[in-house]
Amino acid sequence: MPPFGKVLVANRGEIAVRVMKAIKEMGMKAIAVYSEADKYALHVKYADEAYYIGPPPALESYLNIQAIIDAAEKAHADAVHPGYGFLSENADFAEAVVKAGLTWIGPPVDAMRAIKSKLDGKRIAKQAGVPISPGSDGPVDNLDEALKLAEKIGYPIMVKAAFGGGGTGITRVDNQDQLVEVWERNKRLAYQAFGKADLYIEKAAVNPRHIEFQLIGDKYGNYVVAWERECTIQRRNQKLIEEAPSPALKMEERERMFEPIIKFGQIIHYYTLGTFETVFSDTTREFYFLELNKRLQVEHPITEMIFRIDLVKLQINIAAGEPLPFTQEELNRRVRGHAIEYRINAEDPLNDFTGSSGFITYYKEPTGPGVRVDSGVTLGSYVPPFYDSLISKLIVYGENRAYAIQAGIRALNDYKIGGVRTTIELYKWISQEEDFQKGKFSTAYIAEKKEQLVKYLKTKEQMKAALAATLYQRGLLKKATTASNSGLTQTQTKRSNWKTYGLMQQSSYRVMW
Amino acid sequence: MKLLRVSSELGDNYVMTYDQQGNKDVISFEDNKFEIEYIGPGWREGELLFKINGEVHRVYVDNGFIVIDDETIFKVDRITETPIEQGKSIEELIKGKEGEILSPMQGRIVQIRVKEGDAVNKGQPLLSIEAMKSETVISAPIGGIVQKIMVKPGQGVKKGDLLLIIK
Repeated sequence: MPPFGKVLVANRGEIAVRVMKAIKEMGMKAIAVYSEADKYALHVKYADEAYYIGPPPALESYLNIQAIIDAAEKAHADAVHPGYGFLSENADFAEAVVKAGLTWIGPPVDAMRAIKSKLDGKRIAKQAGVPISPGSDGPVDNLDEALKLAEKIGYPIMVKAAFGGGGTGITRVDNQDQLVEVWERNKRLAYQAFGKADLYIEKAAVNPRHIEFQLIGDKYGNYVVAWERECTIQRRNQKLIEEAPSPALKMEERERMFEPIIKFGQIIHYYTLGTFETVFSDTTREFYFLELNKRLQVEHPITEMIFRIDLVKLQINIAAGEPLPFTQEELNRRVRGHAIEYRINAEDPLNDFTGSSGFITYYKEPTGPGVRVDSGVTLGSYVPPFYDSLISKLIVYGENRAYAIQAGIRALNDYKIGGVRTTIELYKWISQEEDFQKGKFSTAYIAEKKEQLVKYLKTKEQMKAALAATLYQRGLLKKATTASNSGLTQTQTKRSNWKTYGLMQQSSYRVMW
Repeated sequence: MKLLRVSSELGDNYVMTYDQQGNKDVISFEDNKFEIEYIGPGWREGELLFKINGEVHRVYVDNGFIVIDDETIFKVDRITETPIEQGKSIEELIKGKEGEILSPMQGRIVQIRVKEGDAVNKGQPLLSIEAMKSETVISAPIGGIVQKIMVKPGQGVKKGDLLLIIK
């Protein structure tokens, strides 16, 4: 018997599709919601039913609590899964779901309120015996106060939005002038993304690793920690590549964290999934608490790969009142191999990771042993400029780290996306770079390697353009010089009687937009 | 010798000089040079072999997409040829086109940090565009004088729109 009849997924893109896969596998119906910009999105096509919730800006659609509740009622949904981002950590939304008589697939509302902001999380971490970084105890009211406090704890500092996640409204600040410059901007960005403008300050750890632990709890007070994920390769405080387990930790180091993390869960009577984010210093071997993410993480698949469990199904079962299916010892025994996730973002690494929106005009996903792709796009999809640039995730698995990296390089070479710029080429370089291969890196990795990276990417780009010029000049490129590009080209290629390429030739596409 | 501007479907613009020397094409960017030689058709149907700076690469043209070594894809949107102005060096020719700042993305102009007539250095922030939950700063690719600003704060722009001109 499936735990619910219909589950509404209050999200978009790859995570909506991923959650729907679990819903379908469990024999339930998946309900999508979509904004004007996502009318033709993959998550809408993939769902059993889909409901319109408003105009493109997130504040009017994916962050519009009433519109989503109305859609859930219209669909006669039994439960709501929020994915990550948007309203996933919003206690008001969780409460509205419960009040509407639906099951909230997430932590209990009271626990969400108890750690509503990252600042509450720090307070409880202290109580549970987890070390925390020095900084403000509450939101900092104004710039003057921020300047005073920064002076007191010493630069560099991190200016962070108290609400939300995904690196938005988080900036490292090295001096007074920078602080003046970013303060108002971060307030505005935080408000636009999360509807709350509170900022706080924390001393920045210099070149740490970013390691997070996966807490899983049920409604009966049972907890396990599904080890950790290494999320150190980042840009602008957003993760790019994650792996599990961390190449930096010894068994006793990871196990040392289990008890305080579980204690944290017990203090606030937490259940379902929670991710305990920390910075870890290679030299002192200490973890410092950053925040508890009260939702499914973007990088959950790498944990799924090494434990061979399905975290989304687990979330759904826990929400339905099922007890945890394993103990810590059983879970520890399940660990096999190594997994890496590459976040495929529609952005330009050569241009400060500028978002790149547009139509996907060429799309070929990698397949084969040890390869999993969680994608929110396909050929003909539109990547709107209104939301996050993450379009898909490439997850690779190997029996050890070296094999996983080999699978990664092969799969990245097989992954081809046209129409938007992506981070694929960047990851090819990183995967073959010596320090990455040795597992020696900090959160400053991208910044440290910037020069070599830019040189590689630029040469690669110029080579493509130079080759295009040659093909054109020598008359080998006839069809490519169109006067304008309105997204997708409609092509009529003659097919010979015996040849069927798996390329775009058979897909004459038309997208109404 | 010709001056070529290759615009990709992604809105990237590459300015280069193109010259044929015997059976080689010599393509120069401001900071890079490629010698490309067409070897001939490859093993598979539709495959072309090129030697680029001494290395052999397999190339397909598939619906206007150029697929290199079965790994990298590239699509041309436009190629424009400019006659060579006499007495100018390659660097000068390329720089002349580099002063046209085009929007790399669809988004909204949030801040313009320069005004017409300002002298700017290479790398200096010119304006910011907001899209996909983040603000992108467009910096000057060359030093010079801001000759014309074509956009206003709050205005929506498309990929490839001319934002400003530096001379």
